[in-house]
Amino acid sequence: MSKEKIKVVISKVGLDGHDRGAKVVASLLREAGMEVVYLGMYQTPESIIKAAIDEDVDVIGVSYLSGEHLVFTPLIVEEMKKKGLDDVLFVAGGSFPPEDIPAMKAMGIDEVFRGGSLTEGFVSYIQKHVGQKGAE
Amino acid sequence: MSTDKATAVQEKETQEHNWDEYLQSYYEKPASTRTWSGYEVKEIYTPEDRASEDYKATVGDAGDYPFTRGIHRNMFRGRYWTRREVVGIGSPADTHERAAYCFKNGGMGLNTIADVTYEMGLDADHPWAKNEVGLTGVNLSHIKDMETLVGDIPLDKVSWSLITASTAAAPTMAQYVAVARNKGYDIGCLRGSIQNDPIHFRYCGFRPACPLDLSVKLGSDVMEFCTREMPKWYYTTVNMYDLREQGITAPQEIAYGFGIAMCYMDELIRRGLPIDAFAPRFTFYVSCHIDFFEEIAKIRAARRMWAKLMKEKYGARDPRSLHFRFAVHTAGCSLIPQQPLNNLVRIAYEALAAVLGGVQSLHCCSYDEPMCLPTEKGHLQALRTQQILAYETGVTNVSDPLGGSYYVESLTDTLEQEALRYMKEVEGVGGMEEAIRTEWLDRRFEEEAIKRQKEVDNQDKLVVGVNLFTTEEEKTTPLGVQRIPEHSARDQIEGVRKLKMSRDKRKLNEAIKKLRDAAAEGRNTIPAMIEATQAMATTGELLGTVREVFGYSYDPLNIIESPFH
Repeated sequence: MSKEKIKVVISKVGLDGHDRGAKVVASLLREAGMEVVYLGMYQTPESIIKAAIDEDVDVIGVSYLSGEHLVFTPLIVEEMKKKGLDDVLFVAGGSFPPEDIPAMKAMGIDEVFRGGSLTEGFVSYIQKHVGQKGAE
Repeated sequence: MSTDKATAVQEKETQEHNWDEYLQSYYEKPASTRTWSGYEVKEIYTPEDRASEDYKATVGDAGDYPFTRGIHRNMFRGRYWTRREVVGIGSPADTHERAAYCFKNGGMGLNTIADVTYEMGLDADHPWAKNEVGLTGVNLSHIKDMETLVGDIPLDKVSWSLITASTAAAPTMAQYVAVARNKGYDIGCLRGSIQNDPIHFRYCGFRPACPLDLSVKLGSDVMEFCTREMPKWYYTTVNMYDLREQGITAPQEIAYGFGIAMCYMDELIRRGLPIDAFAPRFTFYVSCHIDFFEEIAKIRAARRMWAKLMKEKYGARDPRSLHFRFAVHTAGCSLIPQQPLNNLVRIAYEALAAVLGGVQSLHCCSYDEPMCLPTEKGHLQALRTQQILAYETGVTNVSDPLGGSYYVESLTDTLEQEALRYMKEVEGVGGMEEAIRTEWLDRRFEEEAIKRQKEVDNQDKLVVGVNLFTTEEEKTTPLGVQRIPEHSARDQIEGVRKLKMSRDKRKLNEAIKKLRDAAAEGRNTIPAMIEATQAMATTGELLGTVREVFGYSYDPLNIIESPFH
């Protein structure tokens, strides 16, 4: 890892207003020693990726709770590709059916964390995988 | 499998089974003796645990002040609670179909919920709506959508609960009334409710649609209009449930919910309405979380507190003004995607707590809530959960069957004291409007939500499938996944585009001007919204017009501009 602190952007996308999980995750990642840019609600794929570039983050975390995961995931991935963010980890959290997880991963999400995830799980996942993606 | 092989497997399993662990778990006792909200409770409660008291003054029979035990003496013997499952999916036609399905299977009341685009006040053709129309509820862009939603349902017979919470509740009310009038109903006969609690919706992701002043204005316009025109309509359901879902505790749910209710009541009093003219039409939406006794105690405490508040602070005299009438929504945030069928059990316990607490109307979550919108089977199972409770268990026989339990009465007192303490804290920061304006309330929600996650991380709260008895996650959802029909959003967008091209522009412009004038002159906006709805004005146009008068952008997202300048 080149930088000392892992830097993460956490965001909602579109109109989905369920932001409790995103805020909690942002706080817990900070407590785990990461630097977190919390974008909050009403973001677009473009605004998330712009922030990811401006802030030079290692991880993008997006929260989906309104059934919008299959709509926005390809748009975010496309934007990441367009801007060359090939080595940035993309994780998603929220509510979605297990049936959709293979599709989300095929679209380009590296890992998903649904409701009932423990902090240790997503913190250690990020610590382990950050910076590995480009090298694969 | 050969016998040898089977024996080998068995031996291996025996070796791997840790019998010391077994012995430990055999003698295991609960690690925590606290309630969900964190209150330490004793191993047994006795008559000594309650201060010597005047039963009539502090508890009272069901039907008697302060209504701790229920708002009616005979409770469910007089009438079952309403079995009302929330429905909102895809287009107005999709939603109508699912609502009719619930009705056919014994659902007693209609309960339709708006989607994120509608709650934000966006028409389906708004650039931000296209990806999300119908994903979480129903979008109603104009009067024809409401007509489709209503279909052939007799509005003077059914009780309809319209779940629009944001400032879009004003257009919802206008659209419902406009359709009812066009169909020839006397609107004084309409029965049902509208959520209409825009203040709380600031905390559910709809802040751009719910600036505080506009929330109080439009929320109170609906209330005032219905007070005058629709005597059978419950025109606000103060949503304590959504607040609880933010992660707060049971007494905070009461305290912050009551705080928001008082914002509307104070405004209606400022408008010159006497308390007894409107208080009987206030209702609440309450959560039932997983701590069985605490939730029952919370409901009993809330009933007593509301009666006292109405009588002592607001001077209400009509007994109906003192009634804390409430619907319960079992706690969505208590459900998890791991081992999802367990959610059926959680929902059943939560529903039982609601009924033992004396609920008026109940929505059971569907077990698949952490995965997707309810499937038809999920909806049916939720309904059946209610029906088993109502018809098989015998819990409807007696009013407040837990009343007089040393524990439940003591816990009710604790919840009341704690809720009062939180209400004092809100007063201390200058009252609820101030707590909202300064984001004091936001900070409380955030702190509590983090605490809840840490409790689960640290095993202070145990959740089967999350921090104990975990198994590999399921790859499929047991009863299937609800998908939104692909054409639904497209049809919805096409529908509003067509309507906008085909309507009578002159009539529309006149109606919009009237609405703008009503808002600017401080008059109630609902009559003008009804007229504009009949002139084919859309949801976004109604709200946008009033928003501009209040100095806000026409579009809550500030992307499109008013077509009326």
